[in-house]
Amino acid sequence: MLSPIILLQIVWTSLATSSCFVLFAVAFALVLKVNRVFNFAQAATMTVAFYAAFAVSGRAELPGWAGFLAAIAASLLMSLLLEVFGFRVLRRRRASSMFVFIFTLVVAEFVAYLAMLVFGTWPATVFPSLFWPVSIVGGIAVSEWDIPALGATLTTLAVLFGVLRLTRTGQSMVAVADNPDLAEFYGIAKERTYLAAMLIAGAITGLAMFLYGTRSQVQPTSAIELLLFAIAATIIGGIGNLWGAALTAAILGLCQNASVLFLPSEWQGFLLYAFLFLAIVFFPQGIRLPQRRRLARGIPAAVVGLHGPMGE
Amino acid sequence: MEYLYTILMLMALSVILAASFNFVIGYGGLISIAHPVFYAIGAYVSALLARDAGVPVALAIPLGAVAALLASLLVAVPALRISGDYLLIASIGFQLGVLEAIKNMTWTGGAGGLTDIPALFGRSTGHAVYVALAIVLAAGSVLLLRGITRSAYGRAMSALRDDELAFAALGRNAMMIKLGVFALGAGLAGLAGGLYAHYFRFLAPDQFDILQSAALLTIVVVGGMRTVWGPVVGAVVLQALPQAITFLDLPPSVLGPLQGILFTGLVLVFMFVRPAGLIAAGDLWRGAAVPDATAGGDGAGRA
Amino acid sequence: MPDGLEVRGLCKRFGGIVVADAIDLAIPPGRILGLIGPNGAGKTSFFNLVAGVVRPDAGRVALDGRDLSGLAAFRRARLGLSRTWQNLRLFASLTVLDNLLIGTRRYPAERLAALLLRPRLVRQSDAAARRRAFEVLERVGLAAFAHSELGRLSFGQQKLVGVARALMNDPRCLLLDEPMAGVEGAAYGSIQSAVRALARDGVAVCVVEHNVAFIRDLCDEGAFMFAGRVLARGSIADLIADPRLTELYFGT
Repeated sequence: MLSPIILLQIVWTSLATSSCFVLFAVAFALVLKVNRVFNFAQAATMTVAFYAAFAVSGRAELPGWAGFLAAIAASLLMSLLLEVFGFRVLRRRRASSMFVFIFTLVVAEFVAYLAMLVFGTWPATVFPSLFWPVSIVGGIAVSEWDIPALGATLTTLAVLFGVLRLTRTGQSMVAVADNPDLAEFYGIAKERTYLAAMLIAGAITGLAMFLYGTRSQVQPTSAIELLLFAIAATIIGGIGNLWGAALTAAILGLCQNASVLFLPSEWQGFLLYAFLFLAIVFFPQGIRLPQRRRLARGIPAAVVGLHGPMGE
Repeated sequence: MEYLYTILMLMALSVILAASFNFVIGYGGLISIAHPVFYAIGAYVSALLARDAGVPVALAIPLGAVAALLASLLVAVPALRISGDYLLIASIGFQLGVLEAIKNMTWTGGAGGLTDIPALFGRSTGHAVYVALAIVLAAGSVLLLRGITRSAYGRAMSALRDDELAFAALGRNAMMIKLGVFALGAGLAGLAGGLYAHYFRFLAPDQFDILQSAALLTIVVVGGMRTVWGPVVGAVVLQALPQAITFLDLPPSVLGPLQGILFTGLVLVFMFVRPAGLIAAGDLWRGAAVPDATAGGDGAGRA
Repeated sequence: MPDGLEVRGLCKRFGGIVVADAIDLAIPPGRILGLIGPNGAGKTSFFNLVAGVVRPDAGRVALDGRDLSGLAAFRRARLGLSRTWQNLRLFASLTVLDNLLIGTRRYPAERLAALLLRPRLVRQSDAAARRRAFEVLERVGLAAFAHSELGRLSFGQQKLVGVARALMNDPRCLLLDEPMAGVEGAAYGSIQSAVRALARDGVAVCVVEHNVAFIRDLCDEGAFMFAGRVLARGSIADLIADPRLTELYFGT
């Protein structure tokens, strides 16, 4: 029953599907790395982005690009609000990481309830139909969604890589991620860098949510579950390692999709929690890379969002 | 009259839940919002034992509490072994996972809910006695937790929150304290669950989801975290508030989200305007004024 | 020499930096050893390795003949290893007395089960711990401050609280990390006499300190550390007189 073609089909479809997960994970990991915030409010950004696209393309029946722009604009706005009226205020107050986390969590829930009130609890999609024309390439069904989604994901990753390596803003982010005080000492504007990271993560989130919403049904609470997936990937991929998180998200997506073969479909959702749990039990610090430069440089690990002294 | 009993019952259960949650998150400093899952486990275990295994209700309720306690260790042992911070994610995963499992299994009643749960007292004794029992247990829980936080154990909990490394260097097993706090909190939540199950005699997984987490967090934050009476005040006030909304006679599709917005919105307002809650516990939300050193401490790696 | 603190071949590197390079060091019971060396020589790292805060790459640590390797920090403390911290690490939300009580060795009142089931045992152990805490506070001259908040104490007094807290463990070995940094006046004498009394009772003491006068007064001998190694051992006077060591000390 398991012919190579079927296997290939599963791998292809999973890979395409998980492109959104990869982006969610990268956005989450970026904010965790640079801003040192365990940003559960990314779920709020995702919800806002989806319903913006839904309102424009789904309800108002404007073309797809308008919905796309709406999603990006909404997620940028949400990120801006979060950073300026949330994180910046809390930083100034020297709020504890617990406080910041609860804030992000409550924002995520608040936005979910708001969406329920405005749009109802039933599932919605950006476009009326989730069906995409399919062509057969070498015996494998490739939908018209797959190629643009994968293309957009790979382009985003490449651009992000370029930004982090080549631009001044990107280098500032890496420096702040390493040691915020030292970075400030060298004349890097911390506040601006935090905002930049939030906005970049917001844009990525908006793009990913638009892609997701054109392919799957979304409810007001979907974003929270999607985010848990991103968190699992970030933990397994090694906190602070963007590309590890991206790779892990792709692999987890593959596993979840491949589970159709041996799990009843209603249990597929359950798999996510199993991943999350296993991630925490077996890979709490990610799949270890040989070096641990963070400690060696004496960067205060304890101020990093949620992870306190790791108690070597 | 029946309506009043119901509200009193819900208030008593909220007090147990909020006090135990406050014990875990406020006094214990263990960040977890999955408290309702232990409420659920207590409720389901007790209900199923009484309904399908023929265990007397009076025995099933404490057994449900024990089950919740053991389940909490299942989450906390692996998560805390690494670092307290993973507890949060592990417990959210556990909460959603358990609810997902309950929805998908037949013997739990599935998503539709578990019905025909036996009552604790026959019709003759009625609800008044049950409500009185719940109120007594709620008061007992609050006093028990108050006693613990004021004892040597409570002192150790404070010290652990202040500085885990120094605490361990004095021969204290931080892990055991965290486990003890988490398990006791979960056990009390399980007790509340059992009481709930045999009063309302119907359980559905949705009753224990993230909305419950938000409500509980609201009660504790609004009431005043790390205070004895804050959660009690919060529970009574915030249990009464949604009742007031019910009188508006809104359709359920509006009512649910509206309650959610109310709960989460209140937390947000309180976090920024009055972080200490209605009953203040001093400088509660401050992080360390000076960023802590690395795990090695004192420039271990800075040589 | 099976007794006291015994460290053999202790190694640790963080990334490319070696903080402990095959350290061998023994402190017999009743001896006070001064550990000196420039900043960054690895003295505090040595304490962290011995106390079990940081896991070594290699080497073993033994106390009174008992191998401590691989034991968690709290287990080492229970076997009689006490330490103080350079940056105090006191429990800010507790009073002076409560800070000390956390250090009490064998304290059944702190056990949840005992608390719920054996109130008498709890009362007795509580009373005993309090008596002991007052004794220790008396010894370091802080009895009057027992119920004070930490914030009302001077920095020197807070250092004393740190030392007193470590004494509550009835240690077999005490590691003092810069007890004099930032301390002036009366605390100087109090710390000296408390540590001497401890050594007379057969406790092995190791002191990291930059205050040369303090270390010369207090210590029986010294060890000079540099770049994660113990370069020399001898009397404090000899170590200070050695021009090569002075060069290393001030040259970096």
